[in-house]
Amino acid sequence: MNYRANVIGFRVHGIKQNRARLLFFMLSLLTLNFSFLTAVGAEAPKRIISLSPSTTEILFAAGLGDNIAGVTTFCDYPEEAKLKDKIGGMSNPSLEAVVSLKPDIVIVTTDGNPEEFERRLRSIGIKTYIFRARTIPELAGGIRDMGEALDEKERFDALAAEIEAGIDKIKSERKTRKEKVLFIIWPEPLVVAGPRTEIDDAINMLGAQNIAGTAVTEYPKYSLEEIIRQSPDIIFIGAGKGMDSVSGGLLNRLSNLKAVKEKKVFFVSDHLYRLGPRVIKGLEELEMHLNK
Amino acid sequence: MKLKLVLITFISAAVFLFALFIGPEPMSPFNMSGIEKEIIFSIRLPRVLVSLFMGMALGASGAVLQGILRNPLADPYILGISSGAALTAAFGIITGLSLFGIFTVPLLAFIGAVIAGIFVGAMGWKRGGFWPERLLLAGVGLGFLFSSLLMLILSISSDAKLKRAALWMFGDLSLADWSIIPFGFIFIAAGIAVSLSKAKALNALMLGDDLAHSLGFSPKRERFILFISVGLMTAASVSLGGMVGFIGLLIPHTGRFIAGSDSRALIPVSALGGGMLLCIADLIGKSVLSPVELPAGIITAVLGAPYFLYLLRRRDVLGA
Amino acid sequence: MSSAPEVHMLDFNDAAFSYDKHMPFIRGVSFSVDNGEFIGLLGANGSGKSTILKLAGGILKASAGEVKLWGKPIASYGNRDRAKLLSYLPQMLDTGIPFTVRELASMGLYPYDIMPGISVEDALEAAGLKEKSGAHISSLSGGEKRRAYIAMTLLQGAGLLLLDEPLANLDIKYQIELIKLLKNLREKRGISLIMALHDINTAMQFDRLIVIKEGRLLGSGRPESVLTKELLKEAFDVEVEIKREDSGGVYIKY
Repeated sequence: MNYRANVIGFRVHGIKQNRARLLFFMLSLLTLNFSFLTAVGAEAPKRIISLSPSTTEILFAAGLGDNIAGVTTFCDYPEEAKLKDKIGGMSNPSLEAVVSLKPDIVIVTTDGNPEEFERRLRSIGIKTYIFRARTIPELAGGIRDMGEALDEKERFDALAAEIEAGIDKIKSERKTRKEKVLFIIWPEPLVVAGPRTEIDDAINMLGAQNIAGTAVTEYPKYSLEEIIRQSPDIIFIGAGKGMDSVSGGLLNRLSNLKAVKEKKVFFVSDHLYRLGPRVIKGLEELEMHLNK
Repeated sequence: MKLKLVLITFISAAVFLFALFIGPEPMSPFNMSGIEKEIIFSIRLPRVLVSLFMGMALGASGAVLQGILRNPLADPYILGISSGAALTAAFGIITGLSLFGIFTVPLLAFIGAVIAGIFVGAMGWKRGGFWPERLLLAGVGLGFLFSSLLMLILSISSDAKLKRAALWMFGDLSLADWSIIPFGFIFIAAGIAVSLSKAKALNALMLGDDLAHSLGFSPKRERFILFISVGLMTAASVSLGGMVGFIGLLIPHTGRFIAGSDSRALIPVSALGGGMLLCIADLIGKSVLSPVELPAGIITAVLGAPYFLYLLRRRDVLGA
Repeated sequence: MSSAPEVHMLDFNDAAFSYDKHMPFIRGVSFSVDNGEFIGLLGANGSGKSTILKLAGGILKASAGEVKLWGKPIASYGNRDRAKLLSYLPQMLDTGIPFTVRELASMGLYPYDIMPGISVEDALEAAGLKEKSGAHISSLSGGEKRRAYIAMTLLQGAGLLLLDEPLANLDIKYQIELIKLLKNLREKRGISLIMALHDINTAMQFDRLIVIKEGRLLGSGRPESVLTKELLKEAFDVEVEIKREDSGGVYIKY
C-alpha cells in the first residue's frame, strides 16, 4: 500500500485520481477490439522510465520488466519493481535522476505527474509518452495506445485483451443490486474513495452505489454523520498493515450501523488503488463480497 | 570590512561550485562525459543559479525590510507579498491554466505578488508616506486573508494538484529552467543595486524619521523607494521558485553577527549569505533522500530555526 | 550681503503650526538666531518647545508665517544641503537600534562626500565614548546612549544645532561637559544652538532665553531679564524666589 502522508498533512500520494468519464465507459464497450495485428517497425525502446506505479505495473504485466530503467519510489508492485533504480516521487521526480539513467522514453501520466516536468523533459530532448487513461473503462485502450508508442503492439494488445475479457466477464455476471457501498481508504482521519476513482468505477461496474460518489474531491475527508445518515449496506476497508486495529475505533463509533451489526465490513486488498492490470482482481474481490 | 566582504564572496563562489558539481551525484568538472555535461548545463546550472538569485533576493530584502519597518521580526513574507503570490500560483496550478506555457505559474506568482504589494502599500500609506506599523499590520492582515483564500482553493482541489501546489509553496526548485532566469535576474539585480545605493538612507531611517531627515534624507521618499525595490525582489524570487521561508528572517540576523548592522555591509553580506544558504539547502534537499527531492524551503527551516535559536541564546541578535 | 542686514542664520517670522486644523498649536512666533548665539528654549511640558525645534529643522512646515534659514525659506533647501547647515536631535531617541557606537556616530558624516574637519575619534572623545566605540548602543546606559547620538550630531558639523532636551538622562558631569564642549565648539567653529531644556539654573548659561506658553512667545531676552518671578509664575505656574548674588550670579530658590 503506497498511501503516504504528504508534506502538509493531507494523505494523498500514490492513489490514482481520475476524471469521471462515464460516457467513455459505454463507448469503450461498443468498440471492443480484438485485432491482434503485429506492427513491425523501428526497434522497441530498450530503456524505459515509468513515472507512476500504475504504468510500472502495466509494463511488468506486458513483459517489459527488463526494459524498465527507472521507476518512482512508490512503485512497489510487482516485487521486482522495488529493485529498479528510483527517480523520486510522482509529483516531484528528480530531473537529474531521470537524465542520468539515459532513458529512450519516459512514460508520464496525466494523473499525478506535473505537466511542467513532461515539458521540461522534452525541452532537453528526452522522448516522452503520456499515458492518458484515467478510468477502468479507459484502461484497455490506454494500454493498446502505449503498446503502439513503445512498438510492442503484440504484448500490450494481449494484455489489453485480457483486461477486456475480465471486464466482460464481470459485466455478463452483473446483477441489479441496490447495495449502498462505502470504501474507506483510511479511518482516522476518515478518508474514503469518492468520484473519479478506480474504486468508484468498480462499484458502479458491479451495479452497486458508492455513497461517497457525489463528493467534490476524489478522496474526500468524509463526515461520520453522513455515513450514519446514508447507512451503507456494506463497508470495504482498504488494504494496509494492521488496518483492522487502526479501524477499531471507527467501527466502534459506527457500531449501530446496519452494515456493522450485520458484519458486512470487509478488509480488502489494494488491487483497486492503481489503474493497472490488478483492477480485474480487485473487481472480482468486491464482487465476491457483494454476492455473499 | 572590505576583507570580510571579499572573503564571503569567495566562500559563496566556492559553495556555488560545490552545489553545482557535488550533488546528488558528484562529478569532476575536468572530466565530464556527455551525459554529465548535459546534466550540469541543462539541469544543475539553472537550478543552482535560481537558488542563488532567490536566496540573494530574500537575504537582501530581509535586511532592508527589518530596517524600513524598524522591526527585527520582519521578513519579506510578512508583507503578504508571498501569500498573494501563493494564491495566484496555486490557482494556476490547480486550474491547470497554461496560457503562457512554462511561464504561466511564475507569471501568475509575480502578478499575485505585485498586486499584494500594491494592496499592502495602499493600506500602509497615510499622509503622503508609508507608515512602518501600518505596513506591517496591513501585511499581516492581508497575509491571513490570502492564506485563507488559498486554503479554500486547496480544500476543493484534486489530490495530485494539491500536492504540486504544496510543493511549490515550500519552495520547489526542481523544474528550474534557463528560460525564466534572465527575468528573475533583472529584477533581483536591480533590487539589490537600488537597496545598496540607498544603504545610508536605510541606516538613517532606522534611527527614526526625524533623525533621518536631519541627516539629509527624505524619509518618506527613501522608504517608498526601498519598499518598491524589496517588493519587486520578493515578487521575482517567489516567482522563480516558490516560497522559501526563514532566509529573509534569519540571514540578516546572522549577517549582523558577522558584518555588523551597517546596511552598506549588511545588504551584500545578507544577499550572499542568502544565496549560499539556499544553494546548500537545495543541495541537501535533493541529496539526503535522493532521488526523492525535498523542497528547499523545508531544509532552510530545519537548518535555520535551530541555528537562529542558538544565535539568540549565544548573543542577542537584536543587539540588546 | 551688507545690503541685507535682515539676514539671520535662522528667522521665525510670525510662524504658526497646527497638528489639528481647528486647534492652532504654535501661534505667531517670531524670533531670530544669529551666528554664534546660544539660545535656551524654556516652557512647560506641552508648551510647544519640540514643535518649534521641528519647525526650525524643516521637519514640520509652518502653516502660516515663515521660517527662514540664511534668508531663504527652509523648505527651499535640498535635504543634503540643509543637513550641512543644521542638525536636529530629537528628545526621544530609539535606543533599540542594532548599531555600535562608532557606526551610529559615523552616520553624522552622511551628508558629506568628503570628510569634514572633525574625525569620528574626536567626536567620540568629546562625547566621552572613546572606550566604548565598539559597544552596541543597546548595551549602554541611558546617558551613554544619548551621548552616542550627540557624537553623531557633532560629527554632522552643522553650524546650527537644534537639541531637544539633550541634558535629560545625563549625569551632572556630562551635563557640564556637554555645555563646555558646545561652548568650545562655538569658539572654534562659531556654531549656534537652540536647546530645549527644563533646568532653569542651566538656562542661566545661555546668551538668550525664549520662554513659551501654549504655543506663544511669553518672553525673550537675556536670562537675567527674562527670568523674573512673574514670568516663571506665568510660564510654569510655580512660586519661586529669584536670588541675585553680588558677583552677578542668579539662582532660583523655592
